[in-house]
Amino acid sequence: MYYRDFLTLTTSSFLAARMRSFLTGLGIAIGIAAVILLTSIGEGLHQFVLQEFSQFGTNIISIQPGKTQTQGSNVGVFGSSRQLSLEDADALRRLPYIESVNPSVMGNAELKFNGKTRRTTVFGEGREFAQAFTMKVQSGTFWPDADDEQARAFVVLGAKVRQELFAGQNPLGEYLRVGGQRYRVIGVMEPKGQVLGMDLDDAVYIPAARAMELLNRPGLMEIQVAYRADVSAEQVTRLIKDRMIERHGREDFTLISQEEALEVLGSVLNVLTFAVAALGGISLLVGAVGILTIMTMAVTERTAEIGLLRALGARENQVLMLFLGEAIMLSALGGIMGLLIGVGIAQGLHLLIPSLPVHTPWLYAVLAELTAVTIGLVAGVAPAMRAARLDPVEALHAE
Amino acid sequence: MKLTDTLLFASGSLRGSPTRTLLMILAMSIGVASVVVLTALGEGARRYVVDQFASLGTNLVIVLPGRTETAGLGPGMLVGQIPKEITLDDAEAIAASRAVKRIAPLTVGSATLSRDALNRDVVVLGSTSDLLEVRHMSMGIGKFLPAGDIHESASVCVLGNQMKQELFGNEQAVGQWVRLGDRRFRVIGVLSSQGESMGMRTDELVIIPVASAHQLFNTSGLFRVLIEAKNRDFIEQAKRDAEAIMFQRHAGEKDVTVITQDAVLATFDRILTALTMAVGGIAAISLAVAGVLIMNVMLIAVAQRVKEIGLLKALGAPPKQIRSLFFAEAALLSSIGSIAGLVLGYVGSTIIGQVYPSLPVSPPWWAVIAACGTALGTGILFSVWPARRAARLDPVAALAGR
Amino acid sequence: MIELQNVSRSFTVGDQQVSALRDIDLRLDAGEYISVMGPSGSGKSTLLNLLGLLDRPSSGTYLLDGGNVTDLTDEQQAQVRREKIGFVFQSFHLVPRLTAAQNVELPMILAGIAPEERKQRVEVLMQNYGLSARADHRPDQLSGGQRQRVAIARATVMKPTVLLADEPTGNLDRTTGWEVLKLLEGLLEQGITLVVVTHDAEIGARAHRQIHMLDGAIRSDERHSA
Repeated sequence: MYYRDFLTLTTSSFLAARMRSFLTGLGIAIGIAAVILLTSIGEGLHQFVLQEFSQFGTNIISIQPGKTQTQGSNVGVFGSSRQLSLEDADALRRLPYIESVNPSVMGNAELKFNGKTRRTTVFGEGREFAQAFTMKVQSGTFWPDADDEQARAFVVLGAKVRQELFAGQNPLGEYLRVGGQRYRVIGVMEPKGQVLGMDLDDAVYIPAARAMELLNRPGLMEIQVAYRADVSAEQVTRLIKDRMIERHGREDFTLISQEEALEVLGSVLNVLTFAVAALGGISLLVGAVGILTIMTMAVTERTAEIGLLRALGARENQVLMLFLGEAIMLSALGGIMGLLIGVGIAQGLHLLIPSLPVHTPWLYAVLAELTAVTIGLVAGVAPAMRAARLDPVEALHAE
Repeated sequence: MKLTDTLLFASGSLRGSPTRTLLMILAMSIGVASVVVLTALGEGARRYVVDQFASLGTNLVIVLPGRTETAGLGPGMLVGQIPKEITLDDAEAIAASRAVKRIAPLTVGSATLSRDALNRDVVVLGSTSDLLEVRHMSMGIGKFLPAGDIHESASVCVLGNQMKQELFGNEQAVGQWVRLGDRRFRVIGVLSSQGESMGMRTDELVIIPVASAHQLFNTSGLFRVLIEAKNRDFIEQAKRDAEAIMFQRHAGEKDVTVITQDAVLATFDRILTALTMAVGGIAAISLAVAGVLIMNVMLIAVAQRVKEIGLLKALGAPPKQIRSLFFAEAALLSSIGSIAGLVLGYVGSTIIGQVYPSLPVSPPWWAVIAACGTALGTGILFSVWPARRAARLDPVAALAGR
Repeated sequence: MIELQNVSRSFTVGDQQVSALRDIDLRLDAGEYISVMGPSGSGKSTLLNLLGLLDRPSSGTYLLDGGNVTDLTDEQQAQVRREKIGFVFQSFHLVPRLTAAQNVELPMILAGIAPEERKQRVEVLMQNYGLSARADHRPDQLSGGQRQRVAIARATVMKPTVLLADEPTGNLDRTTGWEVLKLLEGLLEQGITLVVVTHDAEIGARAHRQIHMLDGAIRSDERHSA
């Protein structure tokens, strides 16, 4: 049979009972729309989160002291028997493929300027901080190239701190008290906003060595190592590990590669998205039952027609194909309807709530349509086979 | 027409076409069952979290060092060392409040625990004797930390259950000496198995007196101060007192954060309930699909039963009655579907409960009612159109089969 | 040319064997006009079904145009039905959602014939049967007579060897019925073997050869002059 004729025959029964076909397709459409909508939101969130993470560049490996981990944040950060030192950071700087090394400490201190006080986060970083973390200084500079050990009392302000304490005034060159000590403002960071819950603008940045003293810490909280983009994370991890074990005598530190973290996060988000999509899939299951019901009824209704087709010389297979084709057409068209509805709602939501990220990858749309077609196939098989196996003589005499 | 007759008539026509009736019931029951199972899961997760919180201790108020202007909980929260740290004296001062039953200061760090040849890195908790009560822990063997002056740094330790197993196996641990870092500690007790709570693997902890921890880690600040209020009514009071005391002691600085466990729990509770509803809602979309199916089949049925309807009208049935017949069919379908779905749902939840015994899986009553109500409502709603179509048929044409 | 050799057909009804046809020997030549008559249960419908390859004999042989078609597979049967056999039914059996032209096209579509050729053949046939004006109408827009004419057009579009008509005038009024019958008889000139099953003696008498059946066997097989 010519494909075109097949299509004509299939479409004729589809069109003959328009409301019925529409409603049957609607069932699938609702299911597909739900799945597409949910995965679009999930995918949008995924991309958003990855972007946030990648803010700092992805070729970064962090080293933290201590080896035990509770709940992601390294407990060793609080008070462990072994420390990470500025010398460790220096040693790592000499490794191949390393672009920059940043020693890092963090704490909480009170700032005083001109009678105004403010309690903010204090970040103790190395001179390569801005470079490693793709954060730029808006005015002034970061502290100049100098040995980290002998760092001077310089401070770079976060955008918000600058605003709050120096509103209108030019802060460069002014003296600020940080945790009781005097620091000279040499720069202001550009606004960066919130990243992973931390407000980077409501903070000040001072050399790590000074921060360690200010916060009364014998060691660094973290060392961030930025490596060349064309080198694999595993390679650099090994190099760092070897060097650190050399210096410390044992593996009393933890290495976390940004890449790894992103991968893990990515796969967690994927799992969540698909779990949620599966929820929407329940509707598809019901939609499949719908197709099964309608096709079963159709076979019963058109029993005489089936007998005729066989009398005219149609093979069992051809009858099977005709009915299967109808089922698939119903679900395929329902699938397209659902795609349009789902994407439409997703985009509409995004317009209403701009902060809600949505993204519908082409792959998902294709998969959704394929799912719809498969459903038609699976749900339509049983009635189609029943139609094919009808005895032509009996069928012709059916009511 | 009497209600019973209507129902009998409706069930008769349903039984007349068994396959399609069964399929429609199947569609409904899938919808209801999925809502039931999913909300049961959600509810199980919520109860699990609530129970976990309860096991942490009741009437808890927690004092944390540090505070940023922009966010109550900031990254500084994670660091023990800050200029104005919370000291043991601060903790003792808080304990003096009338609203406070007991307090437990906490210092956390990691060190290498070793005994003879075996060693491993462990999380060390420095606290006082009251910790046992405050955190609702219980001893397996021996005693907990001794009561007395919290500034005293005794060289004793309490091991978590698993820690004891790893280091001592089946040997007796109490009375033995172990090394933490470069100091020796005598084991005076082993905790009973606590399991995991809020991420901290209690069984793998080593607990030493807080003063000893300060010496070991060379700090003087506290990670947290746990406060147990006298009872529920005193929680707010305890929170205010703690804030006031710290404010005073830190020379008019608001540099600590005080949170009540209740508040945190309430947030979790809200989030999880919302999640459960969302999940249930998504599953309920399938009920809409089932409704569409019912409408579809009914429309076809009206077309197929034109003669029958014509006859009914000729026999004197008013349109209202024709409509009620169709509503009755839809209602019957939805009801049977709901019941079937409920049974399926409960069975499913029970099976999941068996597979994951730690999860208290049970469908919340509000979800069950919502699911059945939605099913019934959808069924009747989607039968409105077919019912009206049937009622509006012209009897003469209908009898002639048109 | 059709030949049935010692053909029997029995069914299992419940737990009993029912014999619908018993030891039928029959030979039909090209261009013959045969009527099959008999009371209900005589086996005439079963005979028709066997001849039309809608059914298989329980025993015996069926030769069609020299070929043995007794034990063909479903596929092969379908093909023979398509190419050599035409059916006309009492209740027309037109597909309600297709137009008259599309109904006539149906056997050709099943046979996989190209659309252009189909169109030609259909046009010719519709013209011959006076249905050109109604080509795009659906069955419910046609009168009974017109419907049967469409059915006959459909039955002959593949130029079959034999045309099997089961009570072709049963659902038509008298006048229309005669018209349709004349149409059928006109096909004899093309060499088609026409077999008409009927309970109407008047119609049956028109055939050149009249077969009477009773209890599954041929009671009489008489030739009459045209």
